[in-house]
Amino acid sequence: MWKNYLKVSFRNLQKRKLYTGINLLGLTIAIVSFLAICLYINHEWSYDRMYSDYNRIYRLNQEFRSEGESQLVSSTPSSLIPTLIDEVPEVENGTLIFDLSIFSSVMIDSGEGNQEEKSFAYADENFFEVFDFDLISGNPNQVLSEPNQLVLTKSTAERYFGNAISSVGKALKVDNQDYIISGVMEDFPSNSHIDFDFIASFKTHRHGTKPEWSPSNYYNYVKLKEGADPQGFEGKLGQIVDKYLGKDLAEYGYETAFFIQPVTQIHLGDQTLGSIKPGSDIRYIYIFGVVALLLIAIGIINYVNLATAEATERNKEVGLRKAMGAGRGQLFGQFVSESMLLTFASTVLSLMVLYLISPKFASLSGVPLNLDLVVSPIGIALLIAFIVLIGILAGLYPSLILSGMEPIKALANKTKVGGGAWVRKSLVVFQFFVSIGLLISTFVVKSQLDYMKEVNLGYDKEHLVSLNYHYNMREGIETIKNEILRSGAATSISRAADMPIHIKAGYKIFPGGDNQREFMITGYSVDNDIIQTIDLDLIAGNNFSDSDIKRSDLEERNEHFTAILNESAVKEMGWTVEEAIGKTINLGFNENTEVKGVVRDFYFNSLHHQVGPLVIFNDPDQANVLLIKLPEGDPSKHLSTLEGIWEELVPERPFNPVFVDQAYNQMYSSEQKSGWIFGLFSGIAIFIACMGLFGLVSYVALRRTREISIRKVLGATQGNVVSVLAADFLKLLSFAAVLAIGFGIWFSKSWLQDFANQTEPSIWPYIIAIGIVFSLAIFTIAYRSWKVFSLNPAKTLKSD
Amino acid sequence: MIQLKEIDKFIESRFQRIFILKGINLTINEGEFVTLMGPSGAGKSTLLNILGLLDEDYAGEYWFGDNNITKMKDRERSSLHKSEFGYIFQAYHLIDELTVYENIETPLLYRKVSSNERKSIIANLLDRFNMVAKKDLFPAQLSGGQQQLVGIARAIAGKPRILLADEPTGNLHSGQAKEIMEVFQELHQEGTTIIQATHARENADYGTRLIQMLDGKIDQDEVITHV
Repeated sequence: MWKNYLKVSFRNLQKRKLYTGINLLGLTIAIVSFLAICLYINHEWSYDRMYSDYNRIYRLNQEFRSEGESQLVSSTPSSLIPTLIDEVPEVENGTLIFDLSIFSSVMIDSGEGNQEEKSFAYADENFFEVFDFDLISGNPNQVLSEPNQLVLTKSTAERYFGNAISSVGKALKVDNQDYIISGVMEDFPSNSHIDFDFIASFKTHRHGTKPEWSPSNYYNYVKLKEGADPQGFEGKLGQIVDKYLGKDLAEYGYETAFFIQPVTQIHLGDQTLGSIKPGSDIRYIYIFGVVALLLIAIGIINYVNLATAEATERNKEVGLRKAMGAGRGQLFGQFVSESMLLTFASTVLSLMVLYLISPKFASLSGVPLNLDLVVSPIGIALLIAFIVLIGILAGLYPSLILSGMEPIKALANKTKVGGGAWVRKSLVVFQFFVSIGLLISTFVVKSQLDYMKEVNLGYDKEHLVSLNYHYNMREGIETIKNEILRSGAATSISRAADMPIHIKAGYKIFPGGDNQREFMITGYSVDNDIIQTIDLDLIAGNNFSDSDIKRSDLEERNEHFTAILNESAVKEMGWTVEEAIGKTINLGFNENTEVKGVVRDFYFNSLHHQVGPLVIFNDPDQANVLLIKLPEGDPSKHLSTLEGIWEELVPERPFNPVFVDQAYNQMYSSEQKSGWIFGLFSGIAIFIACMGLFGLVSYVALRRTREISIRKVLGATQGNVVSVLAADFLKLLSFAAVLAIGFGIWFSKSWLQDFANQTEPSIWPYIIAIGIVFSLAIFTIAYRSWKVFSLNPAKTLKSD
Repeated sequence: MIQLKEIDKFIESRFQRIFILKGINLTINEGEFVTLMGPSGAGKSTLLNILGLLDEDYAGEYWFGDNNITKMKDRERSSLHKSEFGYIFQAYHLIDELTVYENIETPLLYRKVSSNERKSIIANLLDRFNMVAKKDLFPAQLSGGQQQLVGIARAIAGKPRILLADEPTGNLHSGQAKEIMEVFQELHQEGTTIIQATHARENADYGTRLIQMLDGKIDQDEVITHV
């Protein structure tokens, strides 16, 4: 019986090429998107589940609280793990990672000159026991047990030595210190939150043999014993911290709490400051999941609509089969098998497409598509279940309609498939609701992105280049600056702790001097040339001058020091801009800091945050970058001049210029990515929906051929005919548009909520989105009705 | 075998009932070859559809053997329909997407006949109608007469006791029509009860009984004697 069903289905599909083509294409696109999203979600979901006993591994975090604001930090002191292993019976093992790359890059020399590396970490000897990554070579218990040992990932080893295995035992110079390669490991999997190119033994590090309770710069992980109660452990962790650290914390006035986070929740759970890898927002995972389901729904709806519309064509066949004794169930089986066959074909096609696009997808989304998962036994079982489910969902309604026809009427071609019209209509409304809704969302995201690109940040990021600066360069820095200025490749140069796009260092204003308030403030360590280099707007007081003392030259806490505040800081103090000049504040490290000037607020953090208080002070020893303002004109010419000077004066450091405006855009890459993804999926949704509309209009036009011909004979123009056909559909589309506007308003409200600085709400996203979808729909209808209109009425009328 | 009592069929229009059949009383015995004749609109096809359980929307009683069809459950009626009736249409109504072989096979599939049995039944039918060579052709590749032979083969594949034919030769020229009627005669001689509706008087001569219909009523009912 099934063989027969399939055979008949196959011939039916073969015969009606337009119908089959539309359905196949629509379903394939929908399934490709669906599977891609599923694989993406699966990847995000699978984070840190590859270690054995992953559900017993926790990272130790701390929470800083101050004035109602709380900050989660993922780094803790280095003494924590040894103490916990010694004193808490629940702890089976623990390890520590020190990520050097957050502080500075390292210089690696394999005998062919220095190369700058940015993914270098220290880890203690337990690392490979807690995280049992595969070592290609080396004993997990020994590769990090001695000082000066270095484990490379496979691709790093190949980069330096050409061959992974043979690199073991060879030497590398790291910042001029010798290391021996003790092992080579597989590259860190893409779904591990730990990701480095180099792991050095922590014993090499100066803190490695002498654990300390300060600073809190280490990632600490514990593995609890089987059956241990994590909450009980968390309590003991608090006691330990109290015992060893409580006094210090109280003295500095910090309010912190230590807590544990399961390793599997690092990627998608609460985000902490300074993780090894930036995590994902679980809300995006949900949104993608919903989008995947919507796209599949649109694909299924296409099939349902076309198949029911097409039922009119097939009622003769149905009547005949009934006359021959077909039961309702048997007819049902036949039509469902047809939809399943189609789903099967689409799924196979989708897998091929997925295979072809997976490299592109990986580079755009940053997540590799693991297609092996699809062809694993579980994957295949799921796919089969998927095909059956989609096949039934798509075939159910049309089959019910078709198999429910009365045979005599069906044979006489008298059945009108009008009964289910409202179902079809609401399905069309749903499709276009989704399409327009997604498109509106795309434009909302885009307008916010445009706003962020064009908003006046309060400093000038154009023609601004950043070069890595290191403390060791401090002796020759004046020569470097002068040489560059003299060459004409820069108009101004300043050292700074960070690029102005994101200033990270947190300081505290203490009561003292002319201020009695205490509050958190961001500190920007720079040299005297910062104001002119990034073009800050000094609205009161004076710029720094060469007579101002450097922080590192201060000898006592009450020595005279100078700082420039931003408007927000002044406001926080309760002063006016003019009043602030000459006032004294207490920065903690210096109690006698004179406010020398005030700059207009500028965005020194992501636009997700409001501009907060900022203090700028002369502290070039903390600098990590050299900000260079290029003159107008072709930047590449100036860059090559810069490179020449750099190679002559700082030969040991590579020349790696970064344009600040590019780094700024980079900061919003996740927003750009979501904008891009919304755009892609709304495009896909519109495409599928329009294809469905095309099919539907085709059938309506076919059924109304006679009517159209009569109208033509009576003198109707093509425009008249199009409007007759379009009227019904446009009503549905308008309804969908109204619903989509509601969705759009909700979406823009909740998405923009995340940005402290938002673009003005505008009606343009709505107008453009609706305009695009309507014109595509009208074009589709017009094209289809033109074909009917161009038929010769003499022929179409005679056949009736 | 079949007994109709006071069968009425009408359409409610806004102002009046239009009767298609009115007060039909008819008994048909097993083994008869009945011909329904009459002008267009006399109600031949309607009566045939009611007899063949394709139309259930009428007033009156329909007895099949000892069973009152009008009081039967859907399931019983459907199984009766499957086991007892075969249909032949004026426009052949073969399924265009299926080959000759598959068209004949379809009713057997719906009757859940096993694969081997199907093969032998179809082989016999193809043989009987000289269509073995054409079994893999599609309907569009056959002449009208050949298509109707397939239609007959399909109708009798399930071994029904009653064969219903609505203008079986209406679309054929006389040579082909004669061939079809001879097949009917043969089937009749093998014991099948046949009821056909036709316009052509000469077709009635193959049968045993002629019923003339006019305006939804039975006008004349005569026995045809073969000389």
